[in-house]
Amino acid sequence: MTFAVEINGRSRTISIERATADRYRVIVDGHVQLIDAKRVGSFGLSLLFAGADRSSREVQVAPAGPPGEMLVGIDGKSVTVVLNGRRTGRGAAEGSAHARGEQTVVAPMPGRVVRLLVTGGDEVIARQPIVVVEAMKMENELRSPKAGRVKEIVVKAGESVEAGRVLAVIE
Amino acid sequence: MKILIANRGEIAVRIIRACREMGLRTVAVYSDCDRTARHVREADQAVHIGPSEAAQSYLRIDAIVEAAQTTGADAIHPGYGFLAENAAFARACQDAHLIFIGPSADAIALMGSKTAAREVAVRAGVAVVPGTEKPLDEDVGDDEIARIATSVGFPLLVKAVAGGGGKGMRTVADAAALASAVRTARSEARSAFGDAAIYLERRLVRPRHIEIQLLGDHHGTVVPFVERECSIQRRHQKVVEESPSIAVSSELRRRIAAAAAAVARAVNYSNAGTIEFLVDESGSFYFLEMNTRLQVEHPVTEMVTRMDLVQWQIRIARGEPLDIDPADALSANGHAIECRIYAEDPDLGFMPSPGLIRGLRPASGPGVRDDGGVSVGYSVPVFYDSMIAKLVTWGGSRRQAIDRMSRALREYQVLGIKTTIPFFLWLMQQPEYMAGQYDTTYLDRLLVDRKGDSFNELTASDEEVASIATALDAYLRASVHAGTPGAESTTHWKRAARLEALRG
Repeated sequence: MTFAVEINGRSRTISIERATADRYRVIVDGHVQLIDAKRVGSFGLSLLFAGADRSSREVQVAPAGPPGEMLVGIDGKSVTVVLNGRRTGRGAAEGSAHARGEQTVVAPMPGRVVRLLVTGGDEVIARQPIVVVEAMKMENELRSPKAGRVKEIVVKAGESVEAGRVLAVIE
Repeated sequence: MKILIANRGEIAVRIIRACREMGLRTVAVYSDCDRTARHVREADQAVHIGPSEAAQSYLRIDAIVEAAQTTGADAIHPGYGFLAENAAFARACQDAHLIFIGPSADAIALMGSKTAAREVAVRAGVAVVPGTEKPLDEDVGDDEIARIATSVGFPLLVKAVAGGGGKGMRTVADAAALASAVRTARSEARSAFGDAAIYLERRLVRPRHIEIQLLGDHHGTVVPFVERECSIQRRHQKVVEESPSIAVSSELRRRIAAAAAAVARAVNYSNAGTIEFLVDESGSFYFLEMNTRLQVEHPVTEMVTRMDLVQWQIRIARGEPLDIDPADALSANGHAIECRIYAEDPDLGFMPSPGLIRGLRPASGPGVRDDGGVSVGYSVPVFYDSMIAKLVTWGGSRRQAIDRMSRALREYQVLGIKTTIPFFLWLMQQPEYMAGQYDTTYLDRLLVDRKGDSFNELTASDEEVASIATALDAYLRASVHAGTPGAESTTHWKRAARLEALRG
């Protein structure tokens, strides 16, 4: 089975075949490794790399919400991983088109819009603060998911917003 | 004795633990969204007190007093936050013949006003940070405030009189920025505390935030403890605390502790309280405010003094005399550090990240203490402070405590929500932090310098391991659905479980 896996904008093609009981032949971008993999708990995977260094790694893989997105925990860090699809080709193409196209700034929780920091048409850099939303009694800056241009600001200062509400569109 | 805990989260769990160890029964109170919270499940009894909004549940004095009466509780522990520094609540407990585990209502009311507390400190002979002596109510105009600001001097802080936790506080560099800072501080103070009064305070250059924990009994004894260093703050909120402070000599410790005890004695203080000071580069210290309750960061004091402050709070409330050797309280055994783990995404400017906790494995092992408040299957609500745990490490030296913290942070697994763990992993490796060379402005400056770089940056090899794990996870799930050999072990288990069930 072949997968396209994307982390922080870097995509890898990974093919997996079962070798013996818990051993898998894993090919990452053409490089072959033999890995002993066991599930531990609901989301944990213990990986033993059969190569010369015999590394032992534990990784947590949990659904992140949107279909095809996983939240992966490794050594105290946590990253969002996009799994483009079971077969290469189809999913990979969709994934990169999505990254290039429009993205939204969404309210992660109910709150009140305190300030707008940009206006429609502004050029923004990745992680630039776009709107300030007050929630949990604190003011929070919501940032742009990517570099681009502000296509539209959908809310007004003072407005109450529900969780999941789109606040701005970046193209 | 039965104790009702008028709080939630990790502090409610912490207090239940103290009660259990003392053989005391506990009553939890909870709102709609906290039905499955840990404090509810771990208490002996639990009473529902209202909807999720704090104003309709954890801040409802009448509902909490009624819950205590219904369950026959003798005493109420307020924890921190919510009603902990509410004099009306302490009075309501008294009127209902319930022991309030904390100071007197009068002491809460007096020290709760930041300006009145400054007057107390001055009368006790303790220096205060230069600033306004009287609250500036809402009717004091911009011109008047500008005039007062000039006499206080810039840079200065605009602070809420009823404030706390960094809310209603603004730094002002010069006269031009004053009016807008006053406006936002007033509006934040009004919504957070229902009181828009502010005061002005000079901003010291590179100050450290040093605080003294103390206990007072009902027999006139006040014992100050070795200091806590709380200068690692983000937007005026403490995020890392430690004890002792490497900036405090034993001579300075004695002087600050004596000053703290003098302030507490001046108001006949009883139970646990903390006096906060700013210490400048020359070692001069200034009274900042008094917190008339248990502090979030009390565990670092417990770790280096081997005393249980919550158990002492209960013993004091029962009328027992403090039989602590003041020399023990003032000396630190080793070093302790606390990281406040929040359900926040450090990569999105520390935006709250509430939601379902799918997996949780707290750190453990030598020198590690986890004061947690959540569990798997619990959804971190949007209604309250988003702290989910306090991770505390102890070491024979500060360096060992830091190394243990780094190790423990890597062990700590929280799945389903974003947390500040990656941020702390990064902070523990910063040269200035490791050297102890920081002040209250350090972290905000450091974060600005990072320009929003991710705290979750993986090395190329870790990125590959994470990619492989994600693909293997998908492969194994697909195998289970398709009934291919990958599903073998699962079906074996299922068959074994079914057989087990039939036997039962």
